[in-house]
Amino acid sequence: MFKTICALLGDPVNLMISMCALPVAGGVLACLSRGRSRGALRMAVALLFGAANLVFALSLYLGGGASGALALGVQGLELRLAVSGIAALMLPFAGLLFLIVAVYAASWFHKREGGGAYMLLLFISLGMLNGALMADNLGVLLFFWEGLLCTLFGLLLIGRRENSKAAVKALALSGTADLILMLGILATARLAGSASMSEIAARPLSADGPGALGCACMLLGAMGKAGAMPFHSWIPEAASDAPAPFLAAFPGSLEKIAGIYLATRIVTDLYEFAPGSPMSLFVMVAGAVTLFFGVAMALIQKDMRRLLSYHAISQVGYMLLGIGTGLPVGIAGGVFHMMNNALYKTGLFVAAGAIEDQTGTTDLHKLGGLRRAMPVTAACFFVCALSIAGVPGTNGFFSKELIFDAALESGTIFYVAALAGAFMTAASFLKLGGAAFFSEARLPQGRRNIREARLGILIPAVLLAALCVLFGAYNALPLQTLIGPALGDAHIHAGWPENGTLVLLSSAVLLLALADHVYGRKKGGGALAAADHIHYAPGIKQAYALAERGLLDPYNWLMAAANGFSAACAWIEGGVTWFYDKAVPGLVTGTGQTLRRFWNGSVSRYLIIAVAGVACICLIFLLAALGEVAP
Amino acid sequence: MSSILNGIPYVFVAAPLFAFILNNAVPRERMRSHAVALSGGVAALQLAAAILGFALLAASGRGEVRFGLFWSVDAAGAAYLRVNLVSLFLLLCVGFVALASALTAAKTIDDHRCSFANLFMALLLGMNGMLLATDLFTLYVFLEITGTASFVLIAMYKSSKGLEGAFKYLTMSALATIMMLTGLALLFMHTGSLAFADLGAAALSGASGEMDILCYGALALLISGFAIKAGAAPFHSWLPDAHQSADTAVSILLSGIVIKIAGAYGFIVLVELFGDLYAVRLSVAALGVATIAFGALLALVQTHFKRIAAYSSVSQVGYILFGIAAGSPLGLVGALLHVFSHAAFKSTLFSGAAALHEQLGTLDIEQMGGLQKNMPVTGFASVTSFLSAAGVPPFAGFWSKLLILISLWQAGWIGLSAAALGLSILTGAYFLRLQKKVFFGPRNPRWDDVKEIGGTIRASQIVLSAVNLGAGLCFPLVLLYLQSIGLI
Repeated sequence: MFKTICALLGDPVNLMISMCALPVAGGVLACLSRGRSRGALRMAVALLFGAANLVFALSLYLGGGASGALALGVQGLELRLAVSGIAALMLPFAGLLFLIVAVYAASWFHKREGGGAYMLLLFISLGMLNGALMADNLGVLLFFWEGLLCTLFGLLLIGRRENSKAAVKALALSGTADLILMLGILATARLAGSASMSEIAARPLSADGPGALGCACMLLGAMGKAGAMPFHSWIPEAASDAPAPFLAAFPGSLEKIAGIYLATRIVTDLYEFAPGSPMSLFVMVAGAVTLFFGVAMALIQKDMRRLLSYHAISQVGYMLLGIGTGLPVGIAGGVFHMMNNALYKTGLFVAAGAIEDQTGTTDLHKLGGLRRAMPVTAACFFVCALSIAGVPGTNGFFSKELIFDAALESGTIFYVAALAGAFMTAASFLKLGGAAFFSEARLPQGRRNIREARLGILIPAVLLAALCVLFGAYNALPLQTLIGPALGDAHIHAGWPENGTLVLLSSAVLLLALADHVYGRKKGGGALAAADHIHYAPGIKQAYALAERGLLDPYNWLMAAANGFSAACAWIEGGVTWFYDKAVPGLVTGTGQTLRRFWNGSVSRYLIIAVAGVACICLIFLLAALGEVAP
Repeated sequence: MSSILNGIPYVFVAAPLFAFILNNAVPRERMRSHAVALSGGVAALQLAAAILGFALLAASGRGEVRFGLFWSVDAAGAAYLRVNLVSLFLLLCVGFVALASALTAAKTIDDHRCSFANLFMALLLGMNGMLLATDLFTLYVFLEITGTASFVLIAMYKSSKGLEGAFKYLTMSALATIMMLTGLALLFMHTGSLAFADLGAAALSGASGEMDILCYGALALLISGFAIKAGAAPFHSWLPDAHQSADTAVSILLSGIVIKIAGAYGFIVLVELFGDLYAVRLSVAALGVATIAFGALLALVQTHFKRIAAYSSVSQVGYILFGIAAGSPLGLVGALLHVFSHAAFKSTLFSGAAALHEQLGTLDIEQMGGLQKNMPVTGFASVTSFLSAAGVPPFAGFWSKLLILISLWQAGWIGLSAAALGLSILTGAYFLRLQKKVFFGPRNPRWDDVKEIGGTIRASQIVLSAVNLGAGLCFPLVLLYLQSIGLI
């Protein structure tokens, strides 16, 4: 298949370029669709271009990768692309996810405003993502990375031009991460003497000493894109503002793919990442912190979107924890977890979108008992929730066990943090599921007839749930066939973990979560209040209050620092203005007035001054003559 | 050619004398209407003669032209008068300012026109004599003639202010006279002659090679005397009062040329004779910096138009003193050129003052404002004056200041050079204040019906502005000439 397509396009490079360019064309087409049948048109475009992209990506993967360069007119400037290993795997995976979220988006915007702009930016993002995955040169990577930032900003501005707070916050945080990435790329390129990733991969740099800056900065950039702390705080805010398909596509899948892909490349190809080194510790700590605090915040949310977005943040923590260990099992676990997360997180977001589409709200206070009205959605939600909680047998379980294994090997505290995270994840999904689907039926005002979700939204949800089941039951496929060879390691263990203790501990944690839920439910009087006993526990209550007020938001710290700096600049400017407007003229005029009062018109005074002047001249003569100052 | 050249110096003596005699020979009633015109004619003649003489002398390559009245100057040891390039240039300046003054006087002098003309000619004769002198005593005599004529000119209308100003000038002048005569006496005691040729640092040191303390004292006294006459700080006290209370035509003369010839030319002579002594040049430089600073600071806080102009003159004399103190030929050239450009822009400013006084009746700048609309010519002329004073290219003031600063730098006084440049900011400041308060500020409704001045004052303003700008634009020619004679 690869060969036929190559023959069709003439050159592997053309294939790769078209993977960047075609989506843009598709987006423009989707945006330009107008009129009555625009919903159908957009669906057609989504299906067509999404499928074409998937086919191209698959052909690249099955063809064993490719590389090439496209010369741009200027001397020495060329677009260097290479697809191999992990990138080759990510491309079709991203393509598949894109197809699903594009269909979901086309269906969602069928009767709503803003669809054209959204589809355009979604397609351009795909083009940028493809480019970033295929980039072989650090500069080219940066270009596509920034392109993703631009589309992100644009997406958050759809329909919200007056109240662009979320967009600006996203731009600021993601932009800061990108700046740090830029710094890291410069340091890396300088250290390696070349900006070509395949050249650096031939001899990976050392992450100690001078390499530490480049490695840390690049990792921070990758983590920022994926949405780890401290670059996370825009996601919950975007969750409230952006259209529902945005949440499924970006924080759910596409950004994670980009971020974790880059993190994996850095750790395996660009730098020598030794387990137990300070850099490894740095990533693991970041991962553990993100994991723990992300899910702690998720636990107390009462809005479906915000709850799911905090979970998205928390799951990145698992991936980073895995990759940060530096052990092959950890890295494989992190990549597998990223793929699983993309599947079940997107599934959860699509299910939430289905609920929103039908009921018009995502506020859990107003919802309840939807399992009767929307059974298929409920089933998909159930499957995905089991996966995210890591119930034994699901795909989430397998990837989590790999990470637990690696974490335990690296340090007990990381394992404990991961377990605590698993506990809270399970608890919060019990709460969500209970409140939305399994409580007594409660319908928002004015909505009498809740029906099952529309086909265009239902089919993506079912597809994602099915893939979760597939990856869970048949986990040898992803691990040994896909990820192993991609990472160059053919010995990834698939199937039930060897270490039975780990399984027992995980199961125990899950049962504990269930018990806690039942207890909380009885205490709080309903599924929604099932986590309130943790929320309002002494000591924890204050921490939550601080977080809710935004005092723990890094964006607010950044803004406070920026305000402080600009206040300092204004103060300095005030000082300079004072000097030139008040100090100097005042001094001069004051001297003038004093002199004027001195020369008051009295002749006798004038004569005395004149005699004094004569004395001064005699003094000058004296000094000049005595001092023997020669000309 | 050389006979013309030999004859020209006589013009400078003969013309004022002739006009003086004519003024008094013709009956007063007939002379009254023509007196000022006659003075103007003499001034114009002097201007033309000076230009011609300068060109001829420069072309002929002779150092100086000697001449005498009724006796032969070629005999050994004979006294003589002389013109050289420096004095011809200054004679040119004298004629130029006298012409400007006559143009203004045509409008402003209503009474005592014949007396004015008489005194004018006496003043002219005095200044010319100073420039032609070849020994210190002759210089002093003509200085006194100039001074006496000035006193009476200031007090001519017998107003209380005029008498007060003249009295202050007289008193300070008396002190100057005392000091100068004492100095001259000491010098005469030492060398037995006061001729320029017989004086000099070498002559004073005598056989022992050391200078007597009395000689130093003599020099100090002479410097102080000339400083009072020039209006250098801290001896400048008489200047603003005198300039303010005199009639504007007289102010033009005083500010434009009297203080230069009576004061600055004296410094030129002293530095020429005794410039080898560092003390002399140092004290002139000290006077210079004090003068610039005091003049500018005091100008900034005045409220009378002519007082601001008077303090401005004080300040500009400081620059001239700087040029002289540098001691080099370039410094002297810079100082002379600054004499010319200051004459041009100060005369412009005072003509503007005359125009304002004629049309408004007051010169208090606090009461003026927004007069640019009513009196555009006066406003434009005062702006050219300001730009030239502040040293903005391409006006003449810029070039002369530049040469002075360069000569200071070359003399090694870099700090003074920088200070002179910095104090230019103050020059700009007080001029801008003047402009804003008089021409460009908010309008005082009292002056809604004021019209522009006409007649000779308007003509003189236009001509002077043109000279200001033209001299600046043609300055590169001057620089080329200086380069050809090796000064730059």
